[in-house]
Amino acid sequence: MEHMIEVSHVKRYYKVAKREQGMGNSIRHLFKRKYEIKRAVDDVSFTIKKGEIVGFIGPNGAGKSTTVKMLSGILYPDDGSVKIDGFIPYKQRKQYVKNIGVVFGQKSQLNWDLPLIESFELMRYIYKIPMDLYEENLHQFTELLDMEDFLYQPVRQLSLGQRMRGDIVAALLHSPKIVFFDEPTIGLDVVAKEKIRNFIRYMNQKNDTTIIFTTHDMQDIEKICERLIIIDSGKKIYDGSIQDIKNRYTSIKNIKLILEDGRKEMRTYDTSKKPMNQIMEEIFRENQVKDISICETEIDEIIRDIYEGSSRILSSEL
Amino acid sequence: MRTYLEFALKKFQNKMVYRLDFFMGMINTLITIAVYLCIYKALYGNASVIDGVTYKMVATNFVIALGLSQAFTFNEMFMQDKIKDGSITNEFLKPVSFKLRMLSENIGEGLFKVVFHFFPALILTCLYTDICMPKSFANLVFMLLSMMLGYLVLWLISFIVQTWSFWLFSVWGIVTIKNVFINILSGSLLPLWFMPRPLKTMISCTPFESIYFTPVRIYLGQLSGMDIFKAMMIQCGWILVLYLTGNIFWKQGVKKLVVQGG
Ligand SMILES: Nc1ncnc2c1ncn2[C@@H]1O[C@H](COP(=O)(O)OP(=O)(O)OP(=O)(O)O)[C@@H](O)[C@H]1O
Ligand SMILES: [Mg+2]
Repeated sequence: MEHMIEVSHVKRYYKVAKREQGMGNSIRHLFKRKYEIKRAVDDVSFTIKKGEIVGFIGPNGAGKSTTVKMLSGILYPDDGSVKIDGFIPYKQRKQYVKNIGVVFGQKSQLNWDLPLIESFELMRYIYKIPMDLYEENLHQFTELLDMEDFLYQPVRQLSLGQRMRGDIVAALLHSPKIVFFDEPTIGLDVVAKEKIRNFIRYMNQKNDTTIIFTTHDMQDIEKICERLIIIDSGKKIYDGSIQDIKNRYTSIKNIKLILEDGRKEMRTYDTSKKPMNQIMEEIFRENQVKDISICETEIDEIIRDIYEGSSRILSSEL
Repeated sequence: MRTYLEFALKKFQNKMVYRLDFFMGMINTLITIAVYLCIYKALYGNASVIDGVTYKMVATNFVIALGLSQAFTFNEMFMQDKIKDGSITNEFLKPVSFKLRMLSENIGEGLFKVVFHFFPALILTCLYTDICMPKSFANLVFMLLSMMLGYLVLWLISFIVQTWSFWLFSVWGIVTIKNVFINILSGSLLPLWFMPRPLKTMISCTPFESIYFTPVRIYLGQLSGMDIFKAMMIQCGWILVLYLTGNIFWKQGVKKLVVQGG
């Protein structure tokens, strides 16, 4: 199958004016500036097939948003190339953006003063969406995301979760082939998050939409996508299925103990280094155990482990 | 085209949301007109003609220039705000031309001001002062045409200055200085008739004359026949020059754009 998205050796550096504290330094800063180069994205490559959903994660400042900006054509890469659906996003912007939908969770694209429905109307003109498609999508989306209540309210009066749903609908009304979400679930309650997750999955299944999304919520990842790309400090450190990454951690077990004297303890063991038998023996020998439970490592924990760079198991392979 | 019309209409609607703004704007316009007409009246005293210009002409110049300047005011921090808070990304994510979109929104905004601030104030003004009627119907038509060209000249100057926000952290200062220049040199405060000759010659070599003064002169019939045509050609010339200049800044700016936030 052909690749929908091809990213090869993309780099994006920011020049950051270095500022020292103090009045004297501030004045000096006016005349002479020291710059520092920040490698936000540093040689990242990957390909994505049509219809795939890819979760794009990494710690704060890893370069996720910067990458999404380059993919959606609003930033020029400093080096390397991006090719999406036959277009070079930053060069053929006007043609290219017809095919994509982008949601920046932290920034609204809606018109602050107008009711939500009018912002949607405007999208119809901007993307020249045929009336029947527009009505079908609008109807379906608002129902799925449960938005009938606030369609006619000015955007500035909406709550964060309502606004986010509005933003998502606005970005998808034209049935784009590719969608980028940058933190679509930021700041939402569990119910709203679940709605958005279902919606993203639904879009993917119904139209075979290719989707990339970034998030800090591992639940999002587990529930929505199969493939995961992790970047850190501008470099790709993992690219593969979630199952895969979990498999590598299956030998890591968390053992929760409740002791006779009421103390609770949590221990982590690696069964590939020490067999379970031996672990149990040691535990029972050393403690008066009242209750014991053995848990798999949670995805949250795995990810934290990777971010912290202490990758107990992955280190050898990555 | 339909898309851009929609932008203008939405902006117009947007403005209507703020009702207080509407009344205050109207009162503000009314007061401005009253104050300036009093000043001119005082300047004229008992004289009916100064330098071959009647009070009525000055009053007309002022009222028209004010109307135009209301139509011509728009949020000049538009681009800077969008660049600063990163929402310029939203514009780049849409399959529309940012420049045309900005222009149509600005027109929508100007139209709002003319309809809701200027027209009511104009009607009230006409009740207590008389101002010149257009020289002829043809003059009125040419004036409207020339007015649109004038709008483009003004808009493009603003556009150029606004594109500098790609490099500067704030263009507010520059915009303010630019507006002082425009107010003085375009004849919207003090009609260009009263400017000293050397200054007048100098101004005629700048785009400023093309903004308000050309339409006003056409309206009053000070230009006629070939002169109207010539004046409009000069306007078009400036539009071309300014457009090309603005485009260079724009292209360079977009290239170096650093989208903030996220
Ligand atoms: N406009 C900018 N100017 C200078 N440096 C920037 C700019 N935007 C981002 N950076 C830097 O580039 C790096 C990557 O930023 P980016 O926004 O892509 O991170 P992110 O992965 O989206 O993080 P988060 O999870 O916090 O949203 C950060 O170190 C950030 O400080
Ligand atoms: Mg981010």
